[in-house]
Amino acid sequence: MDNNRQGAKASIIALIVFIGLWITLPSTIRRLNKEAFSEFQAPAIQLLSKSRDLARYWELRSRSTEDLIAAGRDLARINATLELKLHAMEDIRKENLRLREMLRYPNSTEYLTVVARVATRDTSTWWQRMLIRKGRNDGIRPGCPVVFGNRVVGRVTTVHLNISEVELVTSPAFRCTAFLEGDDPPRIVHVSGVASNPFTTGRAKVSIIQADYTPPAGQVAKVITTGLGGVFPTGLILGTLEGGVTQTAQGNLKEAYMVPSKNLDTIEEVSVLVPKYPTAGEILMSPTDRIKLEEFK
Amino acid sequence: MKNLFNESPHSTPSDPLSRVRINFLFIFFIAGFIYITAGLAYRQLVQANEIMVQSDNQIKRVVIRPPARGKIYDRHGYTIVDNRVRWSVKADILSLQPEFRQEYLSLIRKAKSDPTVLKINYDALGEQARLNVLNGWLDKIWFVIDANTDKPKRSKTASKLPTNRDERTVNRLALRKHLTESRALKFILITDLAFPGSENASDPDEANRTVARFIEQFPQGGPISLESDMVRSYPYSTMAAHVLGYIRDSTDLPPNVDDFTDLNFDNLQKLRYTGKRGAAGIEQTFDPILSGASGWELWTKTSSGYNKELLRSSEPRQGSSINLSLDINIQLAAEEALRAIKDSTDNPLPGAAVMLDVNTGEILAMASQPTFDPNQLVNRITNKYYNEIENQGGWLNRATQGQYAPGSTFKIITAIAGMRNHVIDWDDILECGTSFRVGNRDFPEHGGEAFGSVDVEKMLTISSNVWNYRVGLKLGPDLLAKEARRFGLDAPLLRMPPSLSNPSTTELPYPTNRLVIPDPAYKLRIGAGPWNAGDTANMSIGQGYTLTTPLHMACLAASVARNETRTTPTIIHDPNRDGRHEGATSIGLNKDQLEAIRSGMKRCVEEGTARSMQIEGLTIAAKTGTSEYFKNGEKAHLAWVIGYAPADNPAVAFAVLIEGQLDTSTWGGKTAGPVAKAMLEGWLQENDKD
Repeated sequence: MDNNRQGAKASIIALIVFIGLWITLPSTIRRLNKEAFSEFQAPAIQLLSKSRDLARYWELRSRSTEDLIAAGRDLARINATLELKLHAMEDIRKENLRLREMLRYPNSTEYLTVVARVATRDTSTWWQRMLIRKGRNDGIRPGCPVVFGNRVVGRVTTVHLNISEVELVTSPAFRCTAFLEGDDPPRIVHVSGVASNPFTTGRAKVSIIQADYTPPAGQVAKVITTGLGGVFPTGLILGTLEGGVTQTAQGNLKEAYMVPSKNLDTIEEVSVLVPKYPTAGEILMSPTDRIKLEEFK
Repeated sequence: MKNLFNESPHSTPSDPLSRVRINFLFIFFIAGFIYITAGLAYRQLVQANEIMVQSDNQIKRVVIRPPARGKIYDRHGYTIVDNRVRWSVKADILSLQPEFRQEYLSLIRKAKSDPTVLKINYDALGEQARLNVLNGWLDKIWFVIDANTDKPKRSKTASKLPTNRDERTVNRLALRKHLTESRALKFILITDLAFPGSENASDPDEANRTVARFIEQFPQGGPISLESDMVRSYPYSTMAAHVLGYIRDSTDLPPNVDDFTDLNFDNLQKLRYTGKRGAAGIEQTFDPILSGASGWELWTKTSSGYNKELLRSSEPRQGSSINLSLDINIQLAAEEALRAIKDSTDNPLPGAAVMLDVNTGEILAMASQPTFDPNQLVNRITNKYYNEIENQGGWLNRATQGQYAPGSTFKIITAIAGMRNHVIDWDDILECGTSFRVGNRDFPEHGGEAFGSVDVEKMLTISSNVWNYRVGLKLGPDLLAKEARRFGLDAPLLRMPPSLSNPSTTELPYPTNRLVIPDPAYKLRIGAGPWNAGDTANMSIGQGYTLTTPLHMACLAASVARNETRTTPTIIHDPNRDGRHEGATSIGLNKDQLEAIRSGMKRCVEEGTARSMQIEGLTIAAKTGTSEYFKNGEKAHLAWVIGYAPADNPAVAFAVLIEGQLDTSTWGGKTAGPVAKAMLEGWLQENDKD
């Protein structure tokens, strides 16, 4: 009995000492520890994600040959259409470059594209974060925009060796500027996610809408990236306005809710747009920002 | 063991004195207990509310937030004063305390290790630490804003943002003031991110880019935040600046919204954000209507005076809008034409132009040159800009505040007075030579020309001086003055209608109250000696002591056009205005007499002194005037033209005045005519649209 009590006492003391040590540890060591834990966890997350892909593969293998032929035919048609569009796009790109050169217009930020599979999503942060199966080894850096086609999914917040965390457009920690379809001349609005529970639809709030803005009649207004902030390329679709635009209590501005353009519930693959040169924000967020800041100046 | 005192340890004292003492102590303690209990109960049950209020007063505070101002529209509903979003970068001083502390300790260490420092000034180091930390953050902010990620090809149209160091460092005095007076509020690092420094306002694209860079790139969740509010914007820049006015900073915020009264805030400490109050023009006189209702935030506060937790809040409410009677197209035309009248050094001549709706008295255009840009005054008035405008005389609204001799435009009054008082009739002819002798002095005809036989109509066409000397002298100063007063040339104008519950008494602030219609009593009053015939001759041609404003002369033209004596001008648009004018009666001329006046004014444009303002397809009635005034002790000319159009069915009346320079030849028709013509063309375009 006494031995048990002494053992319990020793455990409590050990716990207190451990907590005390943890609190007093320098933040660098704690950050390293967290990083190590993430790296330790990463293979398990990757394995889990790959096994899901494998299961999907075998599920597709079980389909009938007729189904696969039909799907293949459909894909071939889509492919042909896309190839045509690609040619047209190439012409437009060249024309765009020529005009920019003529007008001495600043080049828009250049990006490299990294395609990544979605590794896992936590139920408690369903509308806030997801993990993707690409990381530092693949050239991904914090702050990179994450898209699906021309639709914005979110932004990379933390990068580990082989996985990265993505803040979704529906997360309260996400923010960017946008233009609204039908606003002429376009004036910037502020977009930020709204806290939602996993069983509802994720949404974002569009604020600082000018009082004289009215969405185009008969259609749902798109929310489009401005390309001015140096993070998101111009013209990507963030989402569409939901339920109209309402006046703020002050009466001088409007606000609206936005549903993301890509169904974030079922998303399995994304593209990470890695800017060719680091943005000022990236430099600021790096631990040695002061040195780099001076260098940059 | 034997009890030495032979007493049981638990026995009560048998000594009666001891018992009394114990009883006394017992009663004392009971009474004390009752006193404390009763006291507590009294505080809990009776004084609870009062104590709660005292407690609230110590731990809570109210922050009053200013509302956005109402918009101002022109008569067609175009927005001429708007609000734009202002993005301010602010620092949360409370969150920065650990950084301040760290920097402070670092500075102390440095000071202690410095042998040249004999005595450490801890207060100064504390202030320096705060400045260092805030400047560090400011550096980061500008780093993000300035950075151009397109390194290989830097844009030729790169950032136009201010490189002035003052815009990029924290002002020591501003920080000290903030910490003393309003430390609970966030400290403003950059007032207007999109337009840093009002005098360096960047273009809208650059403004959008600046805000976007900050929002998308600056790390969030830290002590630095971006907040937006509404700030005044004048989309047409200098247009109608004297009418619209401008705003200035004020912590005297408008009353709060209704639910403020639900809570007992009277005794709570109140902090106010800086709001805006109208400082001139409509912004000032209609401030109670435009300024809206303040919002508030109820906070708990820390022992060191910072805001801790937001308990309740109420949003401010935007002010009401106002529809002015101005028409932006006519206004812009008037201002452009005024700017085009230049002196020999190619600088615009000072002047004013007014156009009224003849029937309603609504002012369609009111321009004054030189002017100012109210956008430059939104955030703060810089000394440089203030002095620049001051030196040009740009703060004066010459249309309502300038006092000028009306010159030959006054001859309309002399002619009316002459006919009403039977000194002359419409068809009487006077022989007019090159001059007219009054006393010992020859009063000349203008241009030294003899006009020969002149009747009323011809007099107005050619603007004969001699005709007016003769009629004026027959009338005498009192009848001339009486007639001028009948037309309200010295009456206060733009009085606020009593239906608008507004403490301001006039629609535009500070209209001049030094207008003069002279008479013998006036001359004696100012100590200039007795009235003489020469004064009457001068008065009859609008010279001498007579002083009025361009707005008064526009009203005179409108009154003649309507055959009434008074016009009540207004700057507020009311589509249901009935066209009745306060104190207006019929001029009192018969049909022929009135026709002579009108016909003379019409011929003035067709063949007389106002030929420069002819417009094809539009008949105009006008009267020019060139009066003399003294500028810096030397004679210069004032150029006038007043009139109305169309001559046969009057719709608009106008008055234009240009202050000539010493080295410039300035004449009524030649100089002021083109401005009136531009206004009429603007009005015609608007009329065609309708």
